Amino acid sequence: MPVVRDIRKVLIANRGVPAVRIMHTCRDKKIKTVAIYSTPDRLAYHVFLADEAVHIGEAPPHDSYLNMEKIIHCALEKKCQAIHPGWGFLAENATFAEMVEEAGLIWVGPPPQVIRLMGDKIKAKKLAQKANVPTIPGLTNVQSPEDIRKWMTEEEIIFPILIKAASGGGGKGMVRVDSFEELNIAFEKAKSEAKKAFGDDTLLVEKYIEKGRHIEVQILGDKFGNVVHLYERECTIQRRNQKILEEAPSPSIDENLRQEICYTAVRLARELGYYSAGTVEFLLDPRTKRFYFLEVNTRLQVEHGVTELITGLDIVSLMFDIAQGKKLPFKQEDIYPNRHSIEVRINAEDPRSFNPSFGTITRLEIPQGPGIRVASGVYEGADVPPYYDSLIMLIMSAGADRAEALRVMDRALSRGLKVEGIKTIAPLLLSIIRHPEFIAGNFSTRFIEEHYQELISAFREKTPEDEVLKVAQYIAEISALGPQSWM
Amino acid sequence: MSYIFVTPGMTPKEIVRKVRELPGVAFVSLGMRDAGQSDYKNRLRIYDLKTLAPYYNEMGFFAAECHGGARWHVGIMNRRESPFEEIALLRELMPNVLLQTLIRETNMWGYRPYPKNVIEYVVERVDIDVWRCFSFLNDVRNMRLVAEVVMKRGRLFEPAISYTVAPWFDTKYYLKVVDEIVALCGGVEEIILCIKDMAGVGTVQSVSELIDAIKQKYPDLIINYHRHITDGLAIPVLVAAAKAGAKLLDVQEDTLCRFYGHSPILAVEAILREEGIPVNLNRKAAELAVEKVREWIRDYEWAESPFKGFDHMVTKHKMPGGAFPSSFEQAEKGGFLHLMPAILQVMSLYNQIVKYFDVTPGSQITWVTCSGIVNKYYKEFGEAGVQKVINLLKRFVEEKKQDFSAMEEEEKQELLQLFRQAPGDFKNLILGHYGKLPVGWPEDWVYQSAFGEAWQEKIKERVETSALENIPDEDLEAQRKQLENEIGRAATEEEFILYLMHPKDAIDFIKFREKYGVAPLVLPTKVWRYGFAHPGDKVEFELEGKPYSIELVSVGNESNGVIHVVLKVNNKTRVFEVLTPRAKKTEVRRATKPTEIGAPISGTLWRIGNPKRGTLKPGDIVHKGEEIANLESMKMENPIVAPFDAQIVEICVKLNQMVEEGQLLFVLKPLEEN
Repeated sequence: MPVVRDIRKVLIANRGVPAVRIMHTCRDKKIKTVAIYSTPDRLAYHVFLADEAVHIGEAPPHDSYLNMEKIIHCALEKKCQAIHPGWGFLAENATFAEMVEEAGLIWVGPPPQVIRLMGDKIKAKKLAQKANVPTIPGLTNVQSPEDIRKWMTEEEIIFPILIKAASGGGGKGMVRVDSFEELNIAFEKAKSEAKKAFGDDTLLVEKYIEKGRHIEVQILGDKFGNVVHLYERECTIQRRNQKILEEAPSPSIDENLRQEICYTAVRLARELGYYSAGTVEFLLDPRTKRFYFLEVNTRLQVEHGVTELITGLDIVSLMFDIAQGKKLPFKQEDIYPNRHSIEVRINAEDPRSFNPSFGTITRLEIPQGPGIRVASGVYEGADVPPYYDSLIMLIMSAGADRAEALRVMDRALSRGLKVEGIKTIAPLLLSIIRHPEFIAGNFSTRFIEEHYQELISAFREKTPEDEVLKVAQYIAEISALGPQSWM
Repeated sequence: MSYIFVTPGMTPKEIVRKVRELPGVAFVSLGMRDAGQSDYKNRLRIYDLKTLAPYYNEMGFFAAECHGGARWHVGIMNRRESPFEEIALLRELMPNVLLQTLIRETNMWGYRPYPKNVIEYVVERVDIDVWRCFSFLNDVRNMRLVAEVVMKRGRLFEPAISYTVAPWFDTKYYLKVVDEIVALCGGVEEIILCIKDMAGVGTVQSVSELIDAIKQKYPDLIINYHRHITDGLAIPVLVAAAKAGAKLLDVQEDTLCRFYGHSPILAVEAILREEGIPVNLNRKAAELAVEKVREWIRDYEWAESPFKGFDHMVTKHKMPGGAFPSSFEQAEKGGFLHLMPAILQVMSLYNQIVKYFDVTPGSQITWVTCSGIVNKYYKEFGEAGVQKVINLLKRFVEEKKQDFSAMEEEEKQELLQLFRQAPGDFKNLILGHYGKLPVGWPEDWVYQSAFGEAWQEKIKERVETSALENIPDEDLEAQRKQLENEIGRAATEEEFILYLMHPKDAIDFIKFREKYGVAPLVLPTKVWRYGFAHPGDKVEFELEGKPYSIELVSVGNESNGVIHVVLKVNNKTRVFEVLTPRAKKTEVRRATKPTEIGAPISGTLWRIGNPKRGTLKPGDIVHKGEEIANLESMKMENPIVAPFDAQIVEICVKLNQMVEEGQLLFVLKPLEEN
């Protein structure tokens, strides 16, 4: 029988948007927060928002946000009862989770052994097969490009295929291959990225499902064996295998398929002995309406907010309750999603090339108004350093149905959001939600590639607010420098 | 009563009829174009000029010249205004007024002949009612295409004869030009003829005689007399022109008048009234416009010509009013303002040797050629050299009546070098690239002087056809692509036209406006030129109907080439960073050639070479498809592969260096194929 242990102070082992998101709920729950920061993050938003903050190390992640001993040491020193890892960094690191528990701290997340199990994509897949969850044809424990060639011949697999890091996620260490010529470099790239991102270069390879849709189910379990799902999310719109727009409920599936997918996820979670929040990801083949297990994300997801908006729940708050040993306060039949919600990820990237764009945010206006929820990791004047993830803000919208949620999102992106000093993908996101095929629900993970030119050409013209700042820049220059020779 | 008698949308025939029916004369206002060109280097901004528009709308002008000449080019280069924006603004503010341009036949609003398809494309797309078109050679053939397109569009074509006073340009000569014009335009029913006295040299007698002669031959032809005031005698000549039968006279606001522009509107109206010639003018509105100018004209003192005062010697050197300020500007920038009197003297002799009209682009050719000659002699021999060349030319032109053989051997040699360094445009001119010279080609010695030994072949190359026939069409789609490559996006139709006229300056203009937005259109001239001086200095304007305000808080001191300026923009305090010319510019080498490998994205170059063979150094051989470096950016790896078998010539960055997109990483030398 789990013991109820109180969390009055938590260290948040993260930065930016996830740290800020968790701190908001901590404030609601009157849990004190301790932020950690690397040298370039000294003046970052999450540092200001926390009750206390500790300098953790230099810029490179393994010196700072991945420095496990130091983080645990800080938590103990600051008399925290728990560590919340957010998403990314150490969130799915089983070793860290174990170290946290061994240090006598509460790990706000799923059991370390489940993290370990699901972190190994090969074992995860086998386990899924055992639980009667459909999986994509593939080969585990790939040692060389030769293995892939052999597998493809034996199983009569045709390109494209996808090489993935066995312990990966978030698109890192994931490379699509379309021909034998590309195979060697792709293999090396995946291996090296896997090593760098996850410290483990074990690879696996899978058949790539064309025009596949990415659908995932939010699950929630307590330490008493109760598991519920909070319905699904559609995360099909991706660029470079990273999600940039998510919504719930999925416009791709009907009610029967929804029930089937959600209960499949719950079945797997029960099989795993899962507790805390987690996500079971599936790939839906739109032609056959068959879905395949992809992986389990043993953490809070970036896109958890859309689920919160349609169910009215606070998943982070529930994670804390579960970690403290409380029972889930509801049953499956108590959960009624009655909204449609969309989230976009505002990444600091060039919207055309997706090249990262870092620097100082010289102007920031955050969308407001009915139906909008924002989680920002930055403020006007903040620096976006080049060392970390490019996500600077999440914008969510909600409405009675998909059309209404889209209208609200259009307002947020076209009238509300202003970011200057760095580039963001906001223009691309606006183009996407205005695209007739997206509105009609006809899209796949290749949507951006397929409609790239149309999306780019719809980037919006200037607004008077932008214009007046250009005029002011001119005045500033002439006031400082005097009449110019070109005049 | 309303003084409006012609409005945009009327057919040319209707307009011509309305002018004929006027009891007396009407005015053309040059306040929005030539006035500014002649005395203020074309710097008068639409921000100020548009304040006159409401008065113009009621005044009863025949037309307002607000476009063309050098205003287009100076607009994009110096004022950073587009001629299309100006037209749009004026159309809105003075819908009653015919808008007039000045176009230089095949040279349009530039300085060189354009190909036919460019002329056609542009003239079809510029929304102007009255197209005053002149040829600096009076080569009427060059006007054909502009005339055709304008008349086909149903707009009014106003051919101009370039006018000056010289023994070889007599009334008979001008009548021949008028004959050609009338033939080109199919009669006198749909055109107005302009006599373009661009230097301001016509006398009461010469102008009366010319207009009289034209009216006798073409009694129904409407004549517009355009006369600069440089010699100080303009008003009596305008009165004489009106008496001789000119129906339209060019004027400008009295308060705009300096020394090289046009006559004052109120004064001309008064004297014509006294002479009993009715003027279609709402004098009250004119008085208000004249008064309005006072509110802003002092903001342009910096743009005025450094030589002030009338210049009756213009009757000799013939520099046109519109060219004065730009010539002074160039002389000032070139540091030879003190040589101006000598240059003007050389011009007065030169224009008797090579005979054409000193008006764009002829005036530029004259100016560059003559200032070049004077500068060359000054550099070599000082003041004495300048005197020497003037004496030589005087002796040749005045004493020897241009009889080359009568000159001493040494003088001949000097003359044979005179045009050797003349600009290419001078050489093109005497080779016929602009069209036929009005009274024949120069003497052979001029060719010898310009081309040296090759002179006879060059004379054989000389063409007699119109400039229209000499220039091959341009590939417009290729041009558009080039522009779009330069600006990195699709170009608007207007941007494309600006580019066709002045490619380099148009790109600068477009980039300026992308950076500074509508600053040229919304800022008062003082702020435009000097910015803010004191905390609390403020501008207020509207954009898309919403109010905006920008106010100075403070200007910081320079530190490491950066000045911080604090402004309140709609009450919100913002800091703007201004780089001074001293700012350190870290030049980043960029990959531009196929043999140069640039960074595909910004990031850290964390590996040179690949894990298999380790790092690379110059001299190493790499193979096509081999990874030669890897860039990490926001946790993603980006392999850079050799595009072909090659030897590494140079590695341009260090390991773990941050690089930006396009930055040069490797220089490769392709391996020779066996």
